[in-house]
Amino acid sequence: MLKYTLHRLLTGLITVFFIATITFAAMHLVPGDPISGAKAMSPEIRANLERKYGLDQPVLHQYKVYLTNIVKGDFGISYTQQNRSVNDIIRDHFPVSATLGVLAILIAAFGGVIFGSLTALFRNKAPDHLIMFLVILGISVPSFVFAALGQYGVTELNRFTGKDILPVGGWGTLSHMLLPSLVLGLGTMAFLVRLMRSSILEVMNLDYVRTAKAKGLSPMRIFLGHKLRNAVLPVITVLGPAIAAITTGGFVVESVFAIPGLGRYFVQAVQQLDYTVIMGLTVFYGSFLVFMVIAVDIIYGLIDPRISVAKRSAV
Amino acid sequence: MSQTFSGDSGVAEAVKSSDLHPGTGAAFNADDFEPAVRINRFQGLSRPSLSYWSDAWMRPKKNRKATVSLAMVVFLALFTLVGPFLWRIDPSAQDMARISEGPTFAKTAVVIDEAASWTAPELSGIPAAPTASAENLLAPATLEADGVPSSQAVRLKWAPVTGASAYAVYRSETKPSGKVGTSELGVPIGEVDAGNKVGYEDTFNLERSEYFYSIVPKNGEEASKFTTLRVVLPSTIALSAAQALKSDIKVGETLHLSAHPFGTDYLGRDLLSRLMSGARVSLFIGFFAPLVMIFLGIVIGGAAGYTGGRTDNLLMAFADFVLALPFLLFMILFKIAFGVGAGESGIFPMLVAMVILSWPSSARLVRGQILQLRESEFVMASKLLGARPIYLLFRHLLPNTMGVILVSLTFAIPSAIFTEAFLSFIGMGVAPPTPSWGSMCNDGIQTFLTHPHEFLFPAIFISITVLSFNLLGDGLRDALDPRMRSTS
Amino acid sequence: MKNATNHRTKETLLEVSDLRVEFDTYGGIVKAVRGVSFEVARGETLAIVGESGCGKSVTVQSLMGLIPMPPGRITSGFVKLKGQDILGVSLEKANQFRGKEIGMIFQDPMTSLNPTMTVGKQIAETVRVHDGVSADEGRKRAIELLELVQIPEAKSRVDHYPFQFSGGMRQRVMIAMAIACKPSVLIADEPTTALDVTIQAQILRLLRELQRERDMAIILITHDLGVVAQMADKVAVMYAGQIVESGTVDEIFYQSGHPYTLGLRSAMPENDEEKSKVLIPIEGAPPDLFNPPVGCSYFERCPNAMKICGRENPALFNVSSPEHLSRCWLQVPRRAQPGGGGMRKSLRHTLNTADAADAAAETAAEGRVTFFEQPSAPFRGDESGMAP
Repeated sequence: MLKYTLHRLLTGLITVFFIATITFAAMHLVPGDPISGAKAMSPEIRANLERKYGLDQPVLHQYKVYLTNIVKGDFGISYTQQNRSVNDIIRDHFPVSATLGVLAILIAAFGGVIFGSLTALFRNKAPDHLIMFLVILGISVPSFVFAALGQYGVTELNRFTGKDILPVGGWGTLSHMLLPSLVLGLGTMAFLVRLMRSSILEVMNLDYVRTAKAKGLSPMRIFLGHKLRNAVLPVITVLGPAIAAITTGGFVVESVFAIPGLGRYFVQAVQQLDYTVIMGLTVFYGSFLVFMVIAVDIIYGLIDPRISVAKRSAV
Repeated sequence: MSQTFSGDSGVAEAVKSSDLHPGTGAAFNADDFEPAVRINRFQGLSRPSLSYWSDAWMRPKKNRKATVSLAMVVFLALFTLVGPFLWRIDPSAQDMARISEGPTFAKTAVVIDEAASWTAPELSGIPAAPTASAENLLAPATLEADGVPSSQAVRLKWAPVTGASAYAVYRSETKPSGKVGTSELGVPIGEVDAGNKVGYEDTFNLERSEYFYSIVPKNGEEASKFTTLRVVLPSTIALSAAQALKSDIKVGETLHLSAHPFGTDYLGRDLLSRLMSGARVSLFIGFFAPLVMIFLGIVIGGAAGYTGGRTDNLLMAFADFVLALPFLLFMILFKIAFGVGAGESGIFPMLVAMVILSWPSSARLVRGQILQLRESEFVMASKLLGARPIYLLFRHLLPNTMGVILVSLTFAIPSAIFTEAFLSFIGMGVAPPTPSWGSMCNDGIQTFLTHPHEFLFPAIFISITVLSFNLLGDGLRDALDPRMRSTS
Repeated sequence: MKNATNHRTKETLLEVSDLRVEFDTYGGIVKAVRGVSFEVARGETLAIVGESGCGKSVTVQSLMGLIPMPPGRITSGFVKLKGQDILGVSLEKANQFRGKEIGMIFQDPMTSLNPTMTVGKQIAETVRVHDGVSADEGRKRAIELLELVQIPEAKSRVDHYPFQFSGGMRQRVMIAMAIACKPSVLIADEPTTALDVTIQAQILRLLRELQRERDMAIILITHDLGVVAQMADKVAVMYAGQIVESGTVDEIFYQSGHPYTLGLRSAMPENDEEKSKVLIPIEGAPPDLFNPPVGCSYFERCPNAMKICGRENPALFNVSSPEHLSRCWLQVPRRAQPGGGGMRKSLRHTLNTADAADAAAETAAEGRVTFFEQPSAPFRGDESGMAP
């Protein structure tokens, strides 16, 4: 297991290195240069700016500086907000995105397992049909539509009751987090419900469930000890991609709900072509996701004895 | 006695006569014990056997969801391909007079002069702010329109109410019954804050042909009495707006206004024709990217799976690496890197980015299938009989992976459409003025609270498309998965 | 070969009577079990034999309440365990005897154990549920049971997961689980089918030892006549949802009274070098249970079919002893047949056509009539002569 973990971490680092390199290469492929993007300026200022950002150096040198800085954990200074470093932006806004993301993934995972189990238990009955209908909607409707409709719903609710039951945007209290995290988690939850349902249905007909019945166990004990336990495993394996989906989904949700998260800054930077911020945040997000997927895989390995025990005894 | 299996044990003749000959209890004929003549012994299978593909075709036909979704896909194809020939309105034509209009039918409008400025009549001799109790206030004795109401402005004037210090103006689209007080008078569109000011001009979104205006006198509180006036709006258009459509038009002439069944957007462009041309972009990306991706996947996965060994390891290591890249992040990055020059729609960079990032999943799938098939007995047999690699690949290996490929293609389409919508929504997709459903949503969400149709229609189209392909994929998977065959 | 008569005086533990089970499927109603009756006594082994799909597994699963309902349905019959009705009882009542009074072993030890739970916990689970003991006590019992089923190093193996065991070892774990609460009846549903032959022998020996030690009744489901010969006291041969022949193991093997049993015997290789035997397969396929035939279900494949066989399903007739029953018109007692002539016929001698004449002579001497005197027609593998 230790060997496996180290191996995964090493490949993760290599992936991050390539992510950084591709990002650098992509940004230098951009036609024109980063400074003249928006406004005209005098050659003097231009030269100064180029010096400031090191753009007067040969590309290879720039690449070396860029990599060294990344290793040091320095992502450079924003082009558009010239007194802010990318590190500042990450430090200020990532916690907001992380809070939102963690809430969303919790909603998605627990909702997915609970509703997935319900559909399997009530297979082909009304609750199953109802939940599966909503799931199909959840999978087919883009998150920005949920965001818009959610906002509209809350506006109407507030107007109808004449009170501010929920804020429609902004950030700060738990009430601010409720709607965005729900909207963010909804699509992933729908996906997980579907997965959980088929997973439980598959487990239900397996021989060891029949064995458990023949042992005279109560249905509750069979469900918790034998069905759920085994059915949840495939759900855990997709949590890595689910975290990725929720992270990128945050770009949209943060923009719609005016949440000062990192995603919104990323979208802004993309729209304003703020190259250092785009590069810095791409590398940051990229490494975050790569290591999240690795973390999920390792946790899965710890949970599933078929992997953890086999690996432990193999090493 | 524990040795019995049935009936009364130990007695050979325990068999009841009714067992021997049910109904009658009669004995047998000797003829009964003659050898039987059996026609059709071993009838074989009682049900006709189905080939893989004919079975696969039968199955979605029986599946209601799959049939409906197939019909939806056909409808979307017609909408995209045939639609523009039936609905010949230029999707980029702007009609500044009809900005953000809800769904309308064709109508005619009389050109009128620009509305002159108007001030509400102010009566002298009446106190602007008298003191009185709101309970004692009467309804205005008269209420009438000042001048001819038009879709530019409705001007109201009314008789002053003694003791009123202000008047609230309500507008409703249906006639108030007058039974439940002021609560059903509609939208409070304005307030006049002086008792001697007895007029109001309404210029807010006059889209309907009929409104009911109610005036409620106030003094601190609103009175419970009010007067209601029905105002019929002729369809009119201001001269400047009319001239934008037809330069030589004059006041008093009639202008034919086209229908906008799905309304117009914030630049007055017809939403239906934009949806159609947006469909072309969204569906083009939705089909083309998965097709190229699957093709690449078949080539690379097939090569890896068939050759095996080092080539396989190398290709799959590369595929794993590409899979580890965060998809949307790199879509955005590539989109920026490939750049969008002036006049370029940005469809091509998006396609390239999508294919580059998504081929590994289908390559892995194909490789897995090929690896599995390569070791299967029928391929071995074919090899033994001297089949050449190319023959094996095209006759045995690829056709047997087709089912899996088809299913993954069906699921790749909605996810490509989703990706396009997502990117266009954050402004990273198709560049304006080329419409795509995603960018239309992006445009529409700005005015979602006031003009929901601009956002809702493209959103509905995205959702329906994705929904149809998802359901179709489900149906296809059920149909092509041999494991599902045994269950029915 | 054990002799069933040793157990004659023992108490009957499980009694199944006229059990009928149906399944609703897309294609219609499958009548999987059509009136099955049997009994087992303490310390006795009953083997239920038949080809796949004949309803033998459905029979035992339905008495354990393991048939999914719907689509399954028990339409008639009763099952008595020590005199108490257990068929179709509530789940709580069923859970009082499942695992406690009746233990069950399944065919595939690879899939019948929960892959993510240690074998110790899985064994202890049974004990804890039925005897209400603590987790520690359960673990102790699990170790004892693992030792009982001869798993080496039981103390450390108790914390292992099923995938760390070999197939034979897993089946031992299954057995430990099934006998954890000292059940009086053990149902073994093809316990050795998934194992290779050497392991098979070990498992069967273990079962026999446990049976002797605990005086259990065993119901053994199998399609392997070799296993039957090694294990069984009594045999019930099932075909198309019915028991077509039953008796002691000697009666079934050496005095078969049903053409199907004979067919099975002819299709089975023998470990006897003197007789070089040609294996004769049974032609055709079992009948469609969506629409079971009116007459004898073996009619279509039977080399001895008579006119009446296609028309009426025979009852169970006695053959050689009071306990030896066969569902075949060839066994109709003489009293019921026209002219008072005997119609009963023992088929054992006609296995080899060379013996046919002797058989005819013998049956004639016994006052029975042999219907197929022409030695070429019956009991041949090649039935082309029979088809018009």
